[in-house]
Amino acid sequence: MSILEIKDLRAGIAGREILRGVNLTIAPGEVHAIMGPNGSGKSTLAQVLAGRDTYTVTGGTVRLNGRDLLDLSPEERACEGLFLAFQYPVEIPGVSTSYFLKAALNAVRKYHGEPELDAMDFLKLMKQKMKLLDMDAGFLSRAVNEGFSGGEKKRNEILQMAVLDPKLAVLDETDSGLDIDALRIVAGGVNSLRGADRGILVVTHYQRLLNYIVPDYVHVLRDGQIIKSGDKNLALELEARGYGWLEEPAGVH
Amino acid sequence: MTQLMSNTSYLQNLLATGPNSSTPGPDWLQVRREEARQQWLRAGLPAITDEQWRFTDLSLLAETSFSTRHCAAARAAEGRAAGLDGAELVLMNGKFNAQTSRLPPAPVRVTFLAQASGAELATFEKLLGAQARPAHHGLIALNSANFSDVVLVEVPGGVAVERPLNLIVHSVGTEPFATYPRILLKVGDNSSVTVVINFTGPNNLTYLTNSVLESYVGTGSRVELVKIQREGTAAIHIGSDYAHLDKDVRFQSLSLNQGGLLVRNNVTVTLAGPGSEATLNGLSMTAGRQHVDNHTMLDHARDHCESHELYKSLLAGRSSGTFTGKILVRPGSQKTDAKQTSKAVLLSSQACMNSQPQLEIYADDVKCTHGSTNGPLDEEQLFYLRARGLAYNQARAMLTVAFAGDVLARVWQPALRQTLEDMVVTELHRLEREEF
Ligand SMILES: Nc1ncnc2c1ncn2[C@@H]1O[C@H](COP(=O)(O)OP(=O)(O)O)[C@@H](O)[C@H]1O
Ligand SMILES: [Mg+2]
Repeated sequence: MSILEIKDLRAGIAGREILRGVNLTIAPGEVHAIMGPNGSGKSTLAQVLAGRDTYTVTGGTVRLNGRDLLDLSPEERACEGLFLAFQYPVEIPGVSTSYFLKAALNAVRKYHGEPELDAMDFLKLMKQKMKLLDMDAGFLSRAVNEGFSGGEKKRNEILQMAVLDPKLAVLDETDSGLDIDALRIVAGGVNSLRGADRGILVVTHYQRLLNYIVPDYVHVLRDGQIIKSGDKNLALELEARGYGWLEEPAGVH
Repeated sequence: MTQLMSNTSYLQNLLATGPNSSTPGPDWLQVRREEARQQWLRAGLPAITDEQWRFTDLSLLAETSFSTRHCAAARAAEGRAAGLDGAELVLMNGKFNAQTSRLPPAPVRVTFLAQASGAELATFEKLLGAQARPAHHGLIALNSANFSDVVLVEVPGGVAVERPLNLIVHSVGTEPFATYPRILLKVGDNSSVTVVINFTGPNNLTYLTNSVLESYVGTGSRVELVKIQREGTAAIHIGSDYAHLDKDVRFQSLSLNQGGLLVRNNVTVTLAGPGSEATLNGLSMTAGRQHVDNHTMLDHARDHCESHELYKSLLAGRSSGTFTGKILVRPGSQKTDAKQTSKAVLLSSQACMNSQPQLEIYADDVKCTHGSTNGPLDEEQLFYLRARGLAYNQARAMLTVAFAGDVLARVWQPALRQTLEDMVVTELHRLEREEF
C-alpha cells in the first residue's frame, strides 16, 4: 500500500481553482520532489494536505496509508502521521518551544494509545534530536519561532519533524533562507529520517536542496497540475534550462 | 427583587444603603459626609452622555431597589471560604471582620477610623478624600457618604515587607444590597510592599460593591497592588483606586477581572515627584453578558517620570470590554515617557471591545506611545498548533494562556505570580467550556 495517494485533487480559494487535478503516489521509502515556478500551487498543495481550511477542496481524493485524509481535521492528520514543515513558520509569543513540542508529542502519543512522556524522557529525546540538528539547549526555552532567524525557523521545523516521527513528511521550501552549512545540517536531519516505511515530499523552487536530499522522483507542478515527472536528472535539467521549455500540459491526467 | 424606580428615588434609595446621618464620628467627618451626600444628590450616577462613561451604562443601578437594612450578621465562615491563603485582613460589607482576620505583624500597622483617636485620627483626616474627591463622579460621592468604616494600612519608612498583604473584601447578603469598602494605604519612604485585594461576593444576586482605595507612596518606595476582582455573577463592581507617588517611586498595579456582571475600574495615578515610574497592568476574562470597563488616568505632574500600561482582555460570549487610557502631561513635565498598550482577543463573534487613548500633553520634550489591537485568535497560529497534533480546544487554550502570560509575568512576587497564573488558567478553562 502506498503512503500517499493523491487522485485528481482540486482545490482553490474564493472560487478560484489553484490545484487543477493533481495526481501523485508515494510508496514507502520514497523521496519525491515537487518543483515548479512561483505561484504554481506548491504551497497550496502542502497546506491542503495538512488540512488548512482557507482552501476549499472541490474534488479528488487523498489517502494516507489507505485512510481518507480529506475527512480528517488537521490534528487528526498530524496524529495519523502527516507532518508539514511550513514555508513560513508562524511566531507564537508566550508559548515556549519545549512546552509546545511536549504537548504535541504527547497529543500524538495519546492518539495512538501510548503513555505520555514525562519531563525527563522528553528532555532526553530532545537533546538527542537537537544534537542531530546542531542546536543548543537554549532554543527550548524560547517562544516558538519568536525572533528566530529564517534559518532557525527552518531548523525548528525539522526538529519538530524529528521528534514527531511522521509517516509522511512534506517539506515546503525548507531550503529557502538557509546558508550552505545550515542547508547541510537540515538535509542531514531529513536524510536521517529516510527509511523503508516513510515517505518524504520535498517542495522546492530550486534544485540546490536536491543535491543533499537526493529524490527518487521529481515532478514539475505548473498552474496547479503536474506536467512532467522524472528522476533526479529532471531537477538538473530544470536547473540548467529553467521551466520555460516545458510545454503546456496536454492530456496529462 | 428588582423594580423600576423613578429618577429621584434611586438617589434616595442608594443613599439609604449607608449608615444614617446620626452615626457618631468627629466633626470633620460629619461635615464631609454631609457634603458628599449633597454632592451625590446633585450629581447622581454618571450617565453615558458623559465622555468618561460613554461605554458603560449604569442604569441597572438606578433600576435596582437596594435593601436599606444593614445585614450585620454575616457569617464568619464565608469570609474564610472566600479568602486566599494567608488572608490577613477581611472586610465584610466594608467592615473589619476580626474573627476571620489575621492582622499582619509589626511594623505594618492596621487601624480603623471607627476606633481611631489622637494622631491616628489626624492621619485619617489628612489622607481620607485627599485624592478621591466626591466631585470626581457620583460614585465617589456615594462612597464618601456611605462607607461604614475606613481601614488604614500603614507601612513605615525603611521597611521591606516580604510577604504580600492580603485583603479580602467580601460582600454578603440575600437581597440586592450595596457596600462601600474604603481603604487607605500609606507607605513611608524607601519601603517595599505588595498588597493583594481580593473582591468576592454571592452569585446570582444583584449587589453593588462601590469601593475606593487611596494609596500614598513615599519617596524611593516600591509598591505593587494586585486587585483580584472575583465578584458574584450578577454583581455591579465600581472600584476607584487612586495612588499618589512621591519621588523615585516604583509603583505597579494589576487589575485582574473575572467576576461581576457590570464592572468599572477607575485607576488614577499621580506622578507627583520626579523620577517615578508607574506600571498599570490589567487582565480581564469575561463571558456571558459581562462588561468590564478599565479606565486609567496617569497624571504626569512632574518631570522625568515613566508610565507603562498593558491591558489585556479575553472576551467570550456576548461580553464586552472597554479600555480608556488617559494620560495627562502637565506643563513642565519634561522627559516624560508614557507607553500604553491595549490588546483584546475576541473569543466569540458577539464579543466586543472598545479601546481609546486620551492624551493631553502640555510639555514638549515627551515620549508618548499608544497602541491597541482587537481581534480573534490568530488563525495561522491555531493551524500551526493543530498541524502538530494539538486538538482544537487545546490549541485555543494554549494561545489564550499565552496571551495572558506577559501581563502575569510582570508580577514581582514569584509565589504570587504562580498563584495568579494557576487562577487564570482555571478561569480560561471556564471561558473555554462556555464558549468554544
Ligand atoms: N491564501 C491565499 N489567498 C489568495 N490567493 C492565494 C492564497 N494562497 C495561494 N494563493 C494563490 O494561489 C497560487 C498558488 O500559490 P502557492 O500555492 O503559494 O504557490 P507556490 O507555493 O508554488 O509559490 C498563487 O497565484 C497565489 O497567489
Ligand atoms: Mg510556496
